[in-house]
Amino acid sequence: MKRKRFQKVLCFILSVTTLLGFGGVTAGASSDEISYKDYYDPDAPYSASTKEEMQALVGTLSYAEYLDGLYEQRLQYIEDRKTQNFETISYDVLHPVDGTYEIVSGSKDCQDSMSADPDAWVSFNKEENQDKSVYLPAEGSTTWQVTLSAEQAGFYYIKIEYYSVKFDDDISAIERKLKLDNDKTPFKEVSSIKFDRDWAYTYGDFDTVVEEVPGVADSYSVNYELRDTEGQQGYYKIVTEIKGGIKTVKTYRIMQDINGNSMSPQSEPEAKWSTYYVKDSSGYYDGSLEFYFGEGTRSLTLEAIRGSMIVKSIELVPVTGLTTSVVDNQIVINQKSLPSYADTIAQYKANNLYKAPVFDPTANKQQSIRIEAEFPDFVSDSSVAATNDNTSAINYPISHNSQLYNVIGENSYSAVGQWAAYKFQVNETGLYNLGMRFKQDALQGMYICRTIKIHGGHKEGATVRYGQPDGTPEVPFAEAYQAEFNYDKKWQSSFVSMDNTNFLFYFEKGVEYTIYFECSLGTLKEYIQRVEASLEKINSCYLRILQLTGTDPDEYLDYNFISVMPDVLKTLLLEAKELMAVKEGLEALCGTNGSHIATLETIAILLDTMGEDDGMNIAANMATLKSYLGTLGTWINSSKAASMMVDSIWVVPAVQSGDEVVSQGSYLPKAKAGFFKSIWFEILSFISSFFVNYDQMGLTTIPDENTLNIDVWLATGRDQSQIWRTMIDANSKEGFTYNTGTAVSLKLVTGGTLLPSILSRKGPDVYIGLGAADVINYAIREAVLSVGGKAAKEHLDANGNPIFDTTYYSYRDAAGNVVTTPEHRAGEDPVFVSQTFDNHVAGNFAPAAMDTVTLLGSAYGVPQTMSFAMMFYRMDVLANLGLRVPETWQELLTILPVLQTNNMSIGVSYIDALDFMIYQSGQSMWKYTDPEKYDPMYAGARINLDNETVLETFDFTCRLYTDFSFPVAYDASNRFRTGEMPIIIGGYSGIYNTLTVYATEIEGLWEFCSLPGMEREDGTFNYDSLANVSASVILYGCGEDNPEELIASWQFLQWQTGAEAQADYGNRMVALIGPSAKYETANLHAIDKLSWTAKENKAIKNQMAHLSSIVNYPGSYIINRYTQFAFLDAVNESADPIDALSSYIEAINSEIARKREEFKDAGLWVPQSPDDEPPQLGS
Amino acid sequence: MSQKTETNRPVKRSEVSKLRWTWQEMKNNKTAYFMLAPFMLLFIIFTVLPVVLSIFLSLTDFNMLQMPDWRGIDNYMRLFLDDEIFILAIQNTLVFAAITGPVSYILALLVAWFINELPPKIRAVVTLVFYAPSISGNAYLVWKTLFSSDSYGWANAVLIKYGIITEPILWFQDADFVMPLCIVVALWTSLGTAFLSFIAGFQTIDRSMYEAAAVDGIKNRWQELWYITLPTMRPQLMFGAVLAITNSFGFGAVVDALCGFPSVDYAAHTIMHHLSDYGGARYEIGYASAIAVILFVIMFSSNIIIKKLLSKVGE
Repeated sequence: MKRKRFQKVLCFILSVTTLLGFGGVTAGASSDEISYKDYYDPDAPYSASTKEEMQALVGTLSYAEYLDGLYEQRLQYIEDRKTQNFETISYDVLHPVDGTYEIVSGSKDCQDSMSADPDAWVSFNKEENQDKSVYLPAEGSTTWQVTLSAEQAGFYYIKIEYYSVKFDDDISAIERKLKLDNDKTPFKEVSSIKFDRDWAYTYGDFDTVVEEVPGVADSYSVNYELRDTEGQQGYYKIVTEIKGGIKTVKTYRIMQDINGNSMSPQSEPEAKWSTYYVKDSSGYYDGSLEFYFGEGTRSLTLEAIRGSMIVKSIELVPVTGLTTSVVDNQIVINQKSLPSYADTIAQYKANNLYKAPVFDPTANKQQSIRIEAEFPDFVSDSSVAATNDNTSAINYPISHNSQLYNVIGENSYSAVGQWAAYKFQVNETGLYNLGMRFKQDALQGMYICRTIKIHGGHKEGATVRYGQPDGTPEVPFAEAYQAEFNYDKKWQSSFVSMDNTNFLFYFEKGVEYTIYFECSLGTLKEYIQRVEASLEKINSCYLRILQLTGTDPDEYLDYNFISVMPDVLKTLLLEAKELMAVKEGLEALCGTNGSHIATLETIAILLDTMGEDDGMNIAANMATLKSYLGTLGTWINSSKAASMMVDSIWVVPAVQSGDEVVSQGSYLPKAKAGFFKSIWFEILSFISSFFVNYDQMGLTTIPDENTLNIDVWLATGRDQSQIWRTMIDANSKEGFTYNTGTAVSLKLVTGGTLLPSILSRKGPDVYIGLGAADVINYAIREAVLSVGGKAAKEHLDANGNPIFDTTYYSYRDAAGNVVTTPEHRAGEDPVFVSQTFDNHVAGNFAPAAMDTVTLLGSAYGVPQTMSFAMMFYRMDVLANLGLRVPETWQELLTILPVLQTNNMSIGVSYIDALDFMIYQSGQSMWKYTDPEKYDPMYAGARINLDNETVLETFDFTCRLYTDFSFPVAYDASNRFRTGEMPIIIGGYSGIYNTLTVYATEIEGLWEFCSLPGMEREDGTFNYDSLANVSASVILYGCGEDNPEELIASWQFLQWQTGAEAQADYGNRMVALIGPSAKYETANLHAIDKLSWTAKENKAIKNQMAHLSSIVNYPGSYIINRYTQFAFLDAVNESADPIDALSSYIEAINSEIARKREEFKDAGLWVPQSPDDEPPQLGS
Repeated sequence: MSQKTETNRPVKRSEVSKLRWTWQEMKNNKTAYFMLAPFMLLFIIFTVLPVVLSIFLSLTDFNMLQMPDWRGIDNYMRLFLDDEIFILAIQNTLVFAAITGPVSYILALLVAWFINELPPKIRAVVTLVFYAPSISGNAYLVWKTLFSSDSYGWANAVLIKYGIITEPILWFQDADFVMPLCIVVALWTSLGTAFLSFIAGFQTIDRSMYEAAAVDGIKNRWQELWYITLPTMRPQLMFGAVLAITNSFGFGAVVDALCGFPSVDYAAHTIMHHLSDYGGARYEIGYASAIAVILFVIMFSSNIIIKKLLSKVGE
């Protein structure tokens, strides 16, 4: 006993000094039937785009070019419309001529049952004989046909009535590719059309209180308050409506954790019918897009990119509002489908609606309606969410010691097409302005735009109705496409306006309106589009010059550009003018010249210099041009991001001033906090920053002393940790604590903390995200517990059952407590099932991933993330060169000369290549690893680098860099962006995430697919990539005193790495951080539920079918070191790769032997002499 | 009564034992000890104890996770007899220290001397310029851009432009360049605290001493420097020397950041790297402690040598 205490004390001291010195119900249930092989087909076809597909992409016109090409037809159509009546043409939706679809019943009567349980609805309606619709799954394409007569030939909008559904946790956006006539995309804007989907927030679970108040006049009021009473703490929105003597009180709440921090409300996609006119989702064209349909049979194809949907009708609606005018002796066609604001006002005047609301001063009703922006009723996608901002002391609500959600916006609400919608009513009928308190400090010297859409007045039969009866909102007048919000570093408060005209809207009392604020490019779109077109042209000039001169042109050599490529010089000069014109246009528009606009001038000056003097300055300025191309791309990105923060929206009554109606500025909220108020707030915030307990972030209840509690550590970012916290605490079938009764204290730690904590016995029970190499390092030193294999059988529960080999069922009893027992109770539904490791949990992961956490036949962790290298390619560049995506290394080397003569190259990270090439050659890094030939104790006792095939492969890999001049060091994303490196190979999620945020100007021009393959002897190919795994582990000491704790930790591990939680986590990450936060889950069953497009999903699964891994046997750290030394010797000193590598083999083997000697007691075999060979099994 | 008379008489040092005398002295100066205590406590816990512990650990096979076993001098035996890389590391460290230590020391001294001659306002600015590299954290990473292995790296781009090379040089991944580059970077960052203390030293020298020396027959500025300036600022020189030694022996993180770990072919592998290699990647704290002890001994002895050398200044 005494000795034990001494050991503990000693351990503690040692750990301190070393620290100082070195500075779903069920987790596994879904996997029962499907094995890795069934799911990931190694023989699936290569997923890369074909040459034809890539060329089609490059040849596609833009919408403007498409319309220009149809100039004659449009003039004819305008003439025809004068004499002839065009009618709407319908496709026979229920009878597609081709493709994947399913006919279901989809009448409106079924809406309710459908939103309650979509799965049940589909099966139910397949039998019922009701109005039919067609269900389009998330994969495949469907084609319809219609025949037009000669008279019907003309211009049409495409109108689609669809139902956005929620099937199988498929929360991704609905995206389709539209093809017309012979499978051709008419113009590139419709190569991806996005169908809106409403996401509704659920704020707490409150009942609506209905009360009879006879005789009280109708009124509507909204109030906001913070409550801190125990059990009710939160931020409330209370809407009180009195109508016809009935008082309805609706309460919404943003919940708070025990420290008063706001917690994200849940949002779910609404299932409902909507009407969609095919429009441009890139934001360059307002309104619906026109399509020309000539005489004959016309086909229409919807090809799935992501998301499933139900379609009820597809109609061609004749285009209206086309007029002609003459400009510079040319007939110009104008499109005007919406009335202007002036028209709208004129109409109000004509209908006697042009009047301000009149309030009875004694009635005491809310005159202006305040809508706190953090309470949106609907949003376009779950990433549009409320957030906290403490930059102004008068943001409401605000607290100096906690983070309260008080604004919406910033980066998560800035992409074109994202919107937030708010419901409101007014107390008197008349004209209103919309006011807003906001902060737009993103685009210096420029304004950003929002499109205002309104819906309402259909149910109530109001005089002025907004939007479609089915709930689709509409833009009330043309100017509402571009409400402007000016730049200011500070908070502002102003009316929604354009060109200083404050928009007036006619609202009637007792009518519920929904107002949408959608991010748009507004008046800037023309300029951004021009810059984008310019960038494209300059980039192609850059690539052309590059093809002649290479990346480092000789300043003193006369390349004679003027005669070789006069057109390039001309383009450079033209684009210089164009950029200057854009710059001037923007300045005129914004009235200022901020640094953001000035960037264009700098670039224009450079282009001008390069284009002049017969191109004599081109060579000297190539490097600058390259960096400016990047700058221009970034300029476009930031201009497109219409980012601002909104604190509150105000519906402010206008006032009558004679015959005119004027806006009432005094009703607007205060924009900035007073000086002393701000200072005082800052001081309080500073002081309280010392007392915030970040460990408790998101905790809603202080854990009861008596409940089982496990410690979980993770070393990620705060966002990630908060997401796990929320998921653990969720009071639903997905939550952990709710279903197992085990409380979790989750701690965010820094990376190096785990090691010393283990020694001092202050460590956690579970650690999330331990690298595979460390799992083995810890395992062999007995610091983590085995969860599978024979070593795991030693962990017994109170009844003597091996914990990891027993199925435990958790049942909720009548009192709501959860009981976990190994007995299966017939007739009762368990809330959580803890599976056995070997038979169930392991099946969730690729065998390659499991190998990396396995030592001597026992598994020591459950994989959490898994990354691997894949190949990214630029479709436009390859198509322009007439190349296809190389499927094998041989093919890659055949296209290499084509790329190199054009001064392009291929980027392969040598650190990755040195390893995966060995596995592609069918060999392993280690000797004696084949479990069928050798006992696990021999695995990894020697390095396999002296194998002949391995040496040859190593030689081949080195020659890629020496003989074939692959660059060794390069900035992959930058070169990929400029097109200099049209093919790069590297970790898939990392590159994907970088390109998504960083290179938006090449969005849609690149894809990724499996690695090129290496030919086997039998003529087939090996496409293997290497899995890089991090795992969740149970630490030594867990369950020592109480086996229950170990069972709980094991349950946690299963829950956390299970398909449900992993998919949920990945989707929440994307929702929180944006599309660049793709999560590389290791769980095979979670991949389908993450928001990859169908094609990306296929590519990832394709590579997942071809995975190997390097197991970290003792001494593994030495291998990469020496292979890289040998590689660099070959590259730097032109050493023979085989000789260089061979010279290190002895050093590697002796280090491995030395390291294994250390763990001899653990059962590792150590070769005693160079000839010492382990015995083979069965011999 | 007799006792009283005895205490009244001052106690002589020879009358009591050494221990008792010390205790008496400590009691008399208890305020001083009391004020020293917080620092001493922290110093002992965080500096002395780890040093002592690492000497103890160097005789075990501690691996950070399990209880250590006693190994005697096995670690030292292996270190000197069976570890080629360690011998290489010692070699690298000595080369590195022999160049960067004296050069950076002399450089700091000379620069400080020159700067001292400048008018005060300009001096303040120039001091900042020279001192900036060592205070601005990871500023040495500019060298990574400068000597990037990418063909777009500055050095490579310039060399390719003038046709000196055709393929980019992998500067920090090429065994031929690693050590010289690291030495250059080390010198660049070396004008640190020592340099400041030299400037301070120059400032404290009493001007009248120069006048007196001039009367006594000093012939030139060099003599002035050698006979008056340097001897007067010996404490600063010592301080600077200690810093130069520790810096040149402990120069590790910068190499890691620039060349990666380990540097190619162990070309810039110093004792510090060897230490973190075993302490980190291999979980062999016992062995790493042995390396640390050796490093400690080397630093300590070079300190003594420097002290001896410095006492010769001005003679």
